[in-house]
Amino acid sequence: MRSLDIKLMRDLWRMRGQALAIGLVIGAAMATFVMAMGVHHSLTQTRDAYYDRYRYADIFVNMTRAPRSVVERIAAIGGVARAEGRIEQFATLELPGRISPIRAKINSIGDGGASSLNRLVLIRGRGPDIQAAGEVVIDKAFADANSLTVGDRIGAIIYGSRSNLEVVGIGLAPDYIWSIAPGELVPDASRYGIFWMGEKALEAASNRTGAINALSLTLEHGASEAEVIRSVDAVVGQFGGTGAVGREDHLSNAFLTSELDQLEAMTRVIPPIFLLVSTFLVYVVLGRTIRTEREEIGLMKAFGYTNWAVGWHYLKFAFAIALIGIVMGSLAGWWMGRSMTGQYAEYYRFPFLIFQISPAVFAGGSLLSLASAGIGALGGVRSAVRLTPATAMSPPPPPVYHAGLVERLGDRAGLTAVGNMIVRHIARWPGRSAITSSGVAMSLGLLFAVIQFIDGSRAMLDNYFFRAQRQDISVTFIEPRNEKVLYDLAALPGVIRVEPARAVAVRMRHGAVAERVAIEAANNDDLLTARVDSDGFEVDLPAAGLMLSRPLAAKLRVSAGDNVEVELLGGRQTQTVMTVASIIDELIGTRAYAQESALSRLTRDGAPVGSANLLIDPLQRDEIITRLGEMPIVLGLTERDAAMELFEQIIEENIMSMMGFYIAFASAIAVGVVYNSARILFSERAHELATLRVLGYQRREVAIVLLGELALLVAIAVPLGCIAGYWLAQLMISMFSSDLFRLPFAPDRSSYGFAILVILAAAAATAMIVARRVTRLDMVRVLKARD
Amino acid sequence: MAVHGDFSESDVRRAAFTGKSLRKTYVTGETEVHALRGVDLEINAGEILVLLGPSGSGKSTLLNIIGGLDRPTSGELWYDGKELTALDEADLTRFRRANIGFIFQFYNLIPSLTAEENVRLVTDISDRPMNPAEALELVGLQDRRHHFPAQLSGGEQQRVAVARAIAKRPGVLLCDEPTGALDSTTGVRVLETLANANRELGTTLILITHNAGIAAMADRVFNFLDGQIASIEVNQNRVAASEMTW
Ligand SMILES: Nc1ncnc2c1ncn2[C@@H]1O[C@H](COP(=O)(O)OP(=O)(O)OP(=O)(O)O)[C@@H](O)[C@H]1O
Ligand SMILES: [Mg+2]
Repeated sequence: MRSLDIKLMRDLWRMRGQALAIGLVIGAAMATFVMAMGVHHSLTQTRDAYYDRYRYADIFVNMTRAPRSVVERIAAIGGVARAEGRIEQFATLELPGRISPIRAKINSIGDGGASSLNRLVLIRGRGPDIQAAGEVVIDKAFADANSLTVGDRIGAIIYGSRSNLEVVGIGLAPDYIWSIAPGELVPDASRYGIFWMGEKALEAASNRTGAINALSLTLEHGASEAEVIRSVDAVVGQFGGTGAVGREDHLSNAFLTSELDQLEAMTRVIPPIFLLVSTFLVYVVLGRTIRTEREEIGLMKAFGYTNWAVGWHYLKFAFAIALIGIVMGSLAGWWMGRSMTGQYAEYYRFPFLIFQISPAVFAGGSLLSLASAGIGALGGVRSAVRLTPATAMSPPPPPVYHAGLVERLGDRAGLTAVGNMIVRHIARWPGRSAITSSGVAMSLGLLFAVIQFIDGSRAMLDNYFFRAQRQDISVTFIEPRNEKVLYDLAALPGVIRVEPARAVAVRMRHGAVAERVAIEAANNDDLLTARVDSDGFEVDLPAAGLMLSRPLAAKLRVSAGDNVEVELLGGRQTQTVMTVASIIDELIGTRAYAQESALSRLTRDGAPVGSANLLIDPLQRDEIITRLGEMPIVLGLTERDAAMELFEQIIEENIMSMMGFYIAFASAIAVGVVYNSARILFSERAHELATLRVLGYQRREVAIVLLGELALLVAIAVPLGCIAGYWLAQLMISMFSSDLFRLPFAPDRSSYGFAILVILAAAAATAMIVARRVTRLDMVRVLKARD
Repeated sequence: MAVHGDFSESDVRRAAFTGKSLRKTYVTGETEVHALRGVDLEINAGEILVLLGPSGSGKSTLLNIIGGLDRPTSGELWYDGKELTALDEADLTRFRRANIGFIFQFYNLIPSLTAEENVRLVTDISDRPMNPAEALELVGLQDRRHHFPAQLSGGEQQRVAVARAIAKRPGVLLCDEPTGALDSTTGVRVLETLANANRELGTTLILITHNAGIAAMADRVFNFLDGQIASIEVNQNRVAASEMTW
């Protein structure tokens, strides 16, 4: 056995380039696997530890106004472990030099920042005094984005009156790992902050002495969330409760979860592609090695090595290659996982980070890598096992070329002799040629599928901002208003048009499923907003009944024509049955729409106006913003163009930062495939190439035989890759879609072009490396040997 | 058929190749092998030259240098007024393409190309080549032009190789044991073809052989020994290839 192992080491060393190229592909699989699983695992661990240590609540509910005593009633509900109430009050901030309003959500908190649920993590400074009117703790992201620190003062308008806040601490909390201002689409830490203020102080400032408007609770072990939610809603209904939600629907956690799900989706899509390619590569390379080592195999068997020993020898060869990939991939994956977890931790607000990749992830990845290499080796190993010493010792039959279809076609096409050599060689080895082409195609498809996410995001942006939202500014009110507010806004100089945005919070029920959702009321003749489907077409609201977005319909298990029970949340708890008139495929959110008239049965008195959309004269923008900012009823302003820019920026930062990895990984496939094909091609054809040199062909003319075949295979791969990319993109889009948004498949033609260019460049560079061997071809030596 | 009459003007023929103190030394690790130890030579245009000598005496090494496949370690080699030893790789290839036809013991045909296409490999890149079919006719294989090498016998393959070598009407034909793998009848056919090319195209024919009998068709014979030309014989009674036996 020892000497076989020495042979193994020598073979590996001799074929180090090829082994490394395959190792690279396996490594890419391993790296993505380790990275994605590692980040997923680390973030999950971090999240769970954070939730646990800082008592993230299980159920949340908001109300208009309730006496503090409601907390005890809630705590008394069976299954509730602990309940806590607080005030959540929006405020407008005044930071020097900023025109567009900056908003904060101020949460009340116990003395010194104490609370039993959703505990505050103080990073700097101290908690606010329970009484001190001006003391606040501000969240770290807001502090960082606005360069605020302990001791700084911020002017604020709370509940209509101006006050001066002092930053006494900087903190984080588990219920605000991710936050977004109401009415906004894109989180912007520079314009939206989470603050904590002493309970008594905030009661006074918001005119809510002895009252609360938000409540959260934890469940006892084994309690039913749905049941408790029902009981809670029954209690808080009279106080304008807007429907209790579990963690699953709590904004911060929902967003984090969707991100984690996407990470997991990545491990299910990308590594399998790499592993499949590496299986093919091992198959081709080992198959070729075994063909050239026929005589040695015969000798080994003649000397008494068992079939098993010979088979195991070649299997070990495949495993050794996998091992190279496992080592490279583990290191790369660990490193990438670390830096990505860091990035996530920055984006989300975690007070600490548990970066940990469990040995099981490495073990699992290694097992998958070994298995894919092993499967690739099976074909070759089987033929080695089957070879009898007698047949092995006789030279293999020479490749037989017949005057087949390809030959006649070549003649018809007037190919040169060299052209015929290229085409016939491909036809002689159709399986291997197919593997080369499909491998390159897969790398192209993978790269394209990743790049088109950028296009999809842009298209979503375009769909939402240009087609669905045409206003310049949307104004969110502190509390829902009646129609009068629209006239006030229209009266501002420079405001061209005002349209209300009305929404009512409801709970929809169909069978056993219930969903909390806001029905958006609109009219088909609205000019500033429209319902736009994923293909970019405007969809009219039904004359009667509801229009649901597809994911909401799926959650409720309804289709057009079904009835749903609709229960109004907050204030009166009217209940009615409405018909689902149509379903819309939208890109963002789980939403429900109705004509205003269709809603009146539910609300009785027209839907409340929660915000308004304005079309303005751009020349008077600054003036309008300032005037709006001064209106006490205005909670926030969103400027469409600014939001769009911010979104663009997020796309750029998030996706572009990963682009390098994806380009490198996809190229790894192309490099691995092309390098191995080129090396096999070269060694098979060394004799012919030397003959051509002898006949007077120049080096570059000879290189064409080698490169021409590769070029042809790569050229075949391009359209295949585009098709593969098309399907892969669909698959990835469906796996990456969440309740919050779905990306459309809207690739820019340049994305195909870019992917093609990258892969062609990788293929060309790799082929050139092998083509350089033509230069070093020793004609004399090659010709001494019989072919 | 006596052909020596054709050679009556041998004295006024130009020299095709002139070599001065050609040396070739292979260094492998500690040991040096002197394949050529200072060879001076003159090869006449249009002559048939046979290189004879024991194995390892340097015949192939010289032939490869003459054909521009290899370079001497030192010394000069001239062809038709050009110094080959001063040419770079691309020019040497150009020289080979324009002037040299090679035939080896193993035929070195491209298995994926038919007989005719193997010939076309050369005519594709030559200035004033024969028609490939015509070249195959010269070796008597016009009926087999669409066959692949695997469908031809060894002798037929070697004749395709000869057709390929003469199709570009080369100034020089270099043959390293062209009959080494063939039986005597087949070998004679190949030699006849070569002699025809020499006679009809005026091609200089340089031929390595282990078979002293073949020397009978040569104008001159270089006897190699230990990396040097030990002696030169001039053959006054050239025998036609068809009359030789071994
Ligand atoms: N690449 C090489 N490296 C080292 N030595 C070499 C190499 N090529 C040839 N030689 C040596 O140079 C010497 C001359 O070789 P050459 O091939 O010219 O002999 P030859 O006369 O053609 O012999 P044969 O009749 O057996 O073909 C031999 O001793 C051979 O071993
Ligand atoms: Mg020799």
